[in-house]
Amino acid sequence: MEYMGVEPDRLHFSWISSAESTKFVEVVSEITEKVKALGPNTHYVKKEAKVA
Amino acid sequence: MITFKLNGKKVQGEEGQYILQVAEKYGVEIPTLCHHKALEPAGMCRLCTVELFDGRRTRFVTACNYPIWEGMEVKTDSEAVHQGRKLIVELLLARCPEVPLLQKLAEDYGIEKPRFKTEDDTCILCGLCVRMCEKMGNSAIALTGRGVEMKVDTPFHIQTDICMACGACASVCPTGHITLEKIRQEITRKQNVELIPSEYDMGLKGRKPVYVPYAQAVPNTPAIDRDVCIHFKTGGCKVCTQFCGVNAIDHSQEDEVVELEVGSIILSPGFKPFDPSRFDTYNYAKHPNVITSMEMERILSASGPTGGHLVRLSDHKEPKKIAWFQCVGSRDLNRCDNAYCSSVCCMYAIKEAVIAKEHAGDDLDCAIFFMDMRTHGKDFERFYNNAQGKGVRFVRSRVHSIDPIHGSDELAVRYVTEQGEIETETFDMIVLSIGLEIAPEVMALADKLGIELTDGNFCKTTSFEPVETSRKGIFVCGAFQGPKDIPQSVIDSSAAAASAGEILAAARDTCTRQPEVVPETNVVGERPRIGVFVCRCGINIAGVVDVPAVRDYAASLPYVEYVTDNLYSCSQDTQEVMTQIIRGKKLNRVVVAACTPKTHEPLFQETLTNAGLNKYLFEMCNIRNQDSWVHKNNPELATEKAKDLVRMAVSKVALMQPLEEAELEIKQVAMVIGGGIAGMAAARSLAKQGYQTHIVERSDRLGGQAHRLFRTSDGQEVAGNLKAMIKEIGDDPLITVHLKSEIKQVEGFVGNFKTEIVKEGKSEELEHGVAVIATGGAPLSPDEYCYGDDPRILSTLELDEKLMADDPELRKLESAVFIQCVGSRDDQRPYCSRVCCTHSIENAIELKERNPDADVYILYRDIRTYGEREYLYKQAREKGIIFIRYRLDAKPRVELDGKDLTVTVTDHVLQQPVQIRADLLTLATAIIPNKDEALAQFFKVPLNDDGFFVEKHAKLGPSEFATDGVFLCGLAHYPKPIDESIVQGRAAASRAITLLARKKIHTSGQVAETDPMLCSSCGVCISICPYSAPSFIPEDARMFAGKAQINPVLCKGCGLCVASCRSGAIHLKGFDNDQIFAQIFAVNQD
Amino acid sequence: MTDWEPKIVSFLCNWCSYGAADLAGVSRMEYPPNIRVVRIPCTGRMSPKFALAALREGADAVWVSG
Repeated sequence: MEYMGVEPDRLHFSWISSAESTKFVEVVSEITEKVKALGPNTHYVKKEAKVA
Repeated sequence: MITFKLNGKKVQGEEGQYILQVAEKYGVEIPTLCHHKALEPAGMCRLCTVELFDGRRTRFVTACNYPIWEGMEVKTDSEAVHQGRKLIVELLLARCPEVPLLQKLAEDYGIEKPRFKTEDDTCILCGLCVRMCEKMGNSAIALTGRGVEMKVDTPFHIQTDICMACGACASVCPTGHITLEKIRQEITRKQNVELIPSEYDMGLKGRKPVYVPYAQAVPNTPAIDRDVCIHFKTGGCKVCTQFCGVNAIDHSQEDEVVELEVGSIILSPGFKPFDPSRFDTYNYAKHPNVITSMEMERILSASGPTGGHLVRLSDHKEPKKIAWFQCVGSRDLNRCDNAYCSSVCCMYAIKEAVIAKEHAGDDLDCAIFFMDMRTHGKDFERFYNNAQGKGVRFVRSRVHSIDPIHGSDELAVRYVTEQGEIETETFDMIVLSIGLEIAPEVMALADKLGIELTDGNFCKTTSFEPVETSRKGIFVCGAFQGPKDIPQSVIDSSAAAASAGEILAAARDTCTRQPEVVPETNVVGERPRIGVFVCRCGINIAGVVDVPAVRDYAASLPYVEYVTDNLYSCSQDTQEVMTQIIRGKKLNRVVVAACTPKTHEPLFQETLTNAGLNKYLFEMCNIRNQDSWVHKNNPELATEKAKDLVRMAVSKVALMQPLEEAELEIKQVAMVIGGGIAGMAAARSLAKQGYQTHIVERSDRLGGQAHRLFRTSDGQEVAGNLKAMIKEIGDDPLITVHLKSEIKQVEGFVGNFKTEIVKEGKSEELEHGVAVIATGGAPLSPDEYCYGDDPRILSTLELDEKLMADDPELRKLESAVFIQCVGSRDDQRPYCSRVCCTHSIENAIELKERNPDADVYILYRDIRTYGEREYLYKQAREKGIIFIRYRLDAKPRVELDGKDLTVTVTDHVLQQPVQIRADLLTLATAIIPNKDEALAQFFKVPLNDDGFFVEKHAKLGPSEFATDGVFLCGLAHYPKPIDESIVQGRAAASRAITLLARKKIHTSGQVAETDPMLCSSCGVCISICPYSAPSFIPEDARMFAGKAQINPVLCKGCGLCVASCRSGAIHLKGFDNDQIFAQIFAVNQD
Repeated sequence: MTDWEPKIVSFLCNWCSYGAADLAGVSRMEYPPNIRVVRIPCTGRMSPKFALAALREGADAVWVSG
């Protein structure tokens, strides 16, 4: 990912069992925070067709 | 119907309704502090003031208690209204400056500091509490005094008996003025004012009178606890009925006596955790930091009272040192009457210690104080070894008492070490590993049913009929049969079902009905016509997400032909309406935006089927569990999220194709591989339930290792019972026994196996729908302790043979020695053979009985006489059998010197080597599996490192394999005694019959499929699939020879092969690339 | 919206994290409303292509959870 210029924090992996709702919430909050810190994703986003 | 204007818009309401109610219906927010849906309005707080124009002049009225009338005009948000409310908030804040709710309101209205003189009250005199108390049918409190003297109080300010401390007043108090503490001190005379303890959280948390016992409860609907519900005490309240949107609450329901006619009864009443309060010296009842293991389970649980945060209860600080005390309420006749071992506590204590360390980090000190470590279950010994590796301390000592340390929350423990020294240690928390016992109600039930109990009050059964009670037709399973863990309980329950099935075989399928089949409409090639149904789920979704907006948004999406919102999409009448709509609007794809597909997808799929649509033309989007419920404070973003989710679902569903569910006949024949005790038990049960069964046995006789066993742990002779069992098998016309036969080849899969067996050079092909693997185990032939060098050194089974033959030499013995764990629990075989402790003790007792003067020694590492086998251990000690413990690093030495056979062992009490001259040395040899790799290959089932077969699930699927149609029992699974082998044989039969009885299997439509044109025959899918679904098309096939194909019957639709296929040749129907991409593409499209 | 809110495409295993997400709802927990869940039958189904596609389509992050 880094090689492509995408910040590693934009890709997350985790393992949560179906009983671990607390962990789920923790992970979601943590990821959201990290991503918010990064700001919007600009790399590799398909460019909108520009109308002249 | 009354029509009037609300903020300039025409609205309608019923005669007798108040402005606030109508405004709420139209989503117009009016702030209020004193309103409650279930109570009569009082207009106390004045915050709901609105502007009313009656045609001539403007007035200010309170919306909560002003009835509507035709033609009136109401403004809820004018400047004048705003100013009026601001003043009210300012006055309230001046009265109660410390109340957070008012501070927040003041902030909203832009008030920094009230201009008036501030007081320090917390009550705003809204009167909710008083009205609520009246509603409860109690009226214990009232607004007393007048003017500035007014306050909420009891009459004459005297604590009252009328107050039941129900807490309803505190629950509605908007400011926190009334608390449980206040009720306790000022209002009620009742002594124990406390929360209703949550049974699930072991009383560590409170619950409401209306409650769902726990998150995974089945059925997952709330129940009313009649013992604490106020309505059943005073006749008042019924507040809940005001909130239930579907009128589901009926307080008039009464207990019904239901009479059922049944052919068999299965008892599974379970156990009761031992209550350690009576052990004064442990201070459990007095000290918050002495807890039971069940409480510890809840503290460690993510959904528990502390949210999975490991804290001690006295001050909610993280503990640094925790101790577990084993055998609390087990193996104890001094302080309680439970002489038996509870079987499960050693393992759960280790588990708790390991999890505690995982939660709190390696610095947490965990110590387990125990007598014998009993990790006799499958893979448990490994877990024990790993726990030691992780630093869990194991201290062999039974602690007498726990002393709270004055002035701190810590606890002191004094104990005697193995070396006989007295040590004192302090801990932050002590967990009592409480045992299992039978509840008095269960004993009463047993009495009523007329079934016998054991000394430990468990249900009495025998080794050869381990799930049959003393009364015919009544069976037992689980902890009532004897203390046991989850896998053993699951095995038991399957076996009990099989036993009941055996006697009810004739009645099978006599009470069933066939559902009507609706013909399926062909929609292939049609343009998608999508129907979107958005569920309000009462207020569960609509209370947060703007459902009409989501609905209208859905209508704007491509291919969407119909949208609507439902109050409760899952209700039966809505289902019928949906069926009509799908038919009427000729919809060919359906999206339901509601709760979770995990619980409701099958229901809506059934609706599609009833409407003649293929059930896979459906997608659910989860706007409740994963949206409205978790974002309740963010309605705007929640609505945005709901729209995104609906858009994603619509994009996906447009690409959905009708999927076919293959149907397959199941050959109504079973094959049991292995004719030992477990195999015979499985075959017997299958045949008794009407299924033709083949037993394939390698040797020349049925019975396996049982021929060499003398007695079971409950003292039954094995030989006679075994003979009867073999005869029963021989006499059953449905069972065909193939002796001296080996399996050469297995083809096919669940429902349609073709197995080639070879008997004395002749081969035969057998067709069968299911297979039970019962290939058994064998005793280890040891290469230590001079085994084989002297006729006086025997293995356990060789001693059994001598006992059976009543060898006269045994009556002349002067000294007999048993060595335990020969080949078990060492580096080579890190598992416990489970049966040897009981077996040796039993034989030691027998030797002592044949010659009471003989000295009998048992050299052991831990005595593992689990359950009521513990009585044998006790009996052995009473008979004078000497137990000497040795350590793995100081094994006993056996020396042969001419005529003399000497065993030397270091005694754990004396710390001195002891020499024993022995006339007989019995080695308790390990049970080793018949590691049958060929068979594992044939049926594509796995073996573990020790050579035992690996079951589907260690806890929940112990008698079956992950591969469909193949089942497992007996020693091939793990070492076990005769009773457990018989139980598991029956369990395997039971599991097999759940499949056979269906006669046909319907595969899921959501399975993987290969495109042979693209397949490069690399074989990755074949090696990666956990279910053995892919295979190569045979080389001699006409088409696509050598390419991969996937058997839809075996495929579980996990998609592992799809992701791993390098050629992109595999598609997962229902979750195909284009469908998932469609969802991804739809994430950000606006 | 004036405040930027990230969108996180989340691939959740039907049996594990999806269940945890449901349970979080049942337990009425709260978390940021930024994830958009794609239910997959098993994390084995996950392909790097999905992650890349999501980022390409403008997702701010990708989360895969089994």
